[in-house]
Amino acid sequence: MARIALILTLLASPAAADVAQAVDVITPAYAALADSAADLARAAAADCAPEGLRPAFQAAWDDWARIDFLRLGPVETDGRALAMAFWPDPKGSGLRAQQAALAEGAAVASDPDRFARASVAMRGFAGLERLLYPSPLQGAEAELCLLTRATAADLARMGADIAAEWPAHAELLTHPGEGNAAYLTPTEARQALYTQLVTGLSALEKNRLGRPLGTFDKPRPDRAEAVAAGRSLRNVVQSLTGMRDLALALHSPAPQTQAAFDRALDLAERLDDPVLAGVADPQRRLKVEILQQAVNSAKVAVETEIGPALGVSAGFNAQDGD
Amino acid sequence: MTDRRTLLKGLAAAMLLPGRGWAAAGAPVWVAAARDPDGRHALHGIAADGGLTFAVPLPGRGHAAALHPERAEAVAFARRPGTFGVVLDCRTGAAIRSLTPPEGRQFNGHGAFSPDGALLYTSEVAAEGSAGRVGIWDTRHYARVGEWDTGGIGPHDLRVRPDGTLVVANGGIATDPQDRTPLNLGTMRPNLATLDGGGTILTRQELPGALCANSIRHLALLEDGVAFAMQWQGDAAEPVPLLGIARGEDMVTCGVPEQDAFAMQGYAGSIAAAGDAIVVTSPRGGVAMIHGRDGAHRVTLRRADVCGAAAGVDAPFTLTDGAGAIWAADTGGLRLMARHELAWDNHLIAVG
Repeated sequence: MARIALILTLLASPAAADVAQAVDVITPAYAALADSAADLARAAAADCAPEGLRPAFQAAWDDWARIDFLRLGPVETDGRALAMAFWPDPKGSGLRAQQAALAEGAAVASDPDRFARASVAMRGFAGLERLLYPSPLQGAEAELCLLTRATAADLARMGADIAAEWPAHAELLTHPGEGNAAYLTPTEARQALYTQLVTGLSALEKNRLGRPLGTFDKPRPDRAEAVAAGRSLRNVVQSLTGMRDLALALHSPAPQTQAAFDRALDLAERLDDPVLAGVADPQRRLKVEILQQAVNSAKVAVETEIGPALGVSAGFNAQDGD
Repeated sequence: MTDRRTLLKGLAAAMLLPGRGWAAAGAPVWVAAARDPDGRHALHGIAADGGLTFAVPLPGRGHAAALHPERAEAVAFARRPGTFGVVLDCRTGAAIRSLTPPEGRQFNGHGAFSPDGALLYTSEVAAEGSAGRVGIWDTRHYARVGEWDTGGIGPHDLRVRPDGTLVVANGGIATDPQDRTPLNLGTMRPNLATLDGGGTILTRQELPGALCANSIRHLALLEDGVAFAMQWQGDAAEPVPLLGIARGEDMVTCGVPEQDAFAMQGYAGSIAAAGDAIVVTSPRGGVAMIHGRDGAHRVTLRRADVCGAAAGVDAPFTLTDGAGAIWAADTGGLRLMARHELAWDNHLIAVG
């Protein structure tokens, strides 16, 4: 009897958190992205003038930045995660590819299938940013308009495809087994999501914050993400929010993790430095460094609190480095 | 428990084959190191169906192993900078010898036997400066009998061709002798070297200057050359090829489609060649890429923490991962052969 009572208690307790709850965070995030990317494409089709498109562009990028750390399932198909927002791009390959397309009268823009096969570097939010905000891109207005519409439509297509294909991958995550080559056991599904958090936080620390920080002697504000669109910090905030939501859905309560994310988010939201230009100023740089440390602390919290609770750790070979 | 059938099989094997051969160790097709759930490390034999044939305890985390061409003897190496090399009798699980590099030398993860099995070659560095050495051991008693210069810094993988020629991946990275901290990333110059059976350096091939931060680390012999897998030490935002092929004086690198250019995260962990194909794995990216022998990319397969790679039995390749799975891999995808409560280590080595 006592055992039955215990089992009933366990069953009755609120479903704390696990893979299914994590999936429930991801599914609406992709739905929101599909919607806002569709809005952006509709707006571009109606009027391709840059100023008018910026609000829809910013809203759609907000939705992508919230979930862009997740590199599982449909975003891995056809290089979509790269094409959605190609960055970092130290060699300027996106600009070069767009300029080359314009040199051919933007012919690639007239055929969606052909555009979908164009370089990942020239597509997505990074490509559209160069079309909607000041950039070195040179072209006739009509051709720039063609490219704007094609890029927005391609973004909407990818957003719709990702949202449409996600449920099938969610099914794999929630139904592990020997017939499921992606996830053989429940632990593997948990490990996959956990790994996304750890690598996502690591990328935030090293890329979104680390690239502009450079070194104290050689700060690189020019290397910040989305400077023209004024959203370098905004992407940090969105990404932290998305990762916090996934972390707490995957395992809860996780007080250390929650506190670490909240602190990083609080620092980011109070950092009055939208394109992280302050990295070149010793006083303001310190605040970016403190934020970077807070992101690192969130990663450590995930690793020390959520990892052991789920019985997972970073990949045995992935961390080996030999 | 030995049942009658197993006993008869064992007797038949003993009558047909020399008692010291691999048949006496359960006729494994592959050998790999792994960690068990209790954190213990062992070298395992793996049968054609993915089942385990033997397990020999290791003193610490293994990296790769060299298999004697005839005797059921494996030399397991520690990860670099290595403090242990241990010769194992895979029939009994006994550690026959423990190999210690001479003063001032460190094992660097790999080794290989000469074609006749008389000599063992070990990849080593001079602790100070990481200059490459091939350690030479007489396999009758595993006595150190000499060493050669590898013609580069920080050698890692080392292979022996059927004609006795050695191929060495001089990774180019000088490391701190106490840990693995790289000391020369700004000036590294990896190379692929071949040595004859007397230790004379026959060739030394370098990558073009733009790729000098691409450490040549692992090797797969081809009939007409060698395929090599690299690890990029430069800016992670730059997509660089991680597979190269050297044939004679030609050395080419093999790119992948743009959409897969970052899938390996700049890190190839293992490489194998079989039939008309080459596979390169990346545990960091959770991908295995199959290329043709001409280097052309054919397919990218996804599986978390996949690393071990060797020629397969009824598929071109067999792959192992950190979650204990053993996979048959071809361009159509991955098929699960077996799963064990083990974390397979970096390398899967084919017997014979």
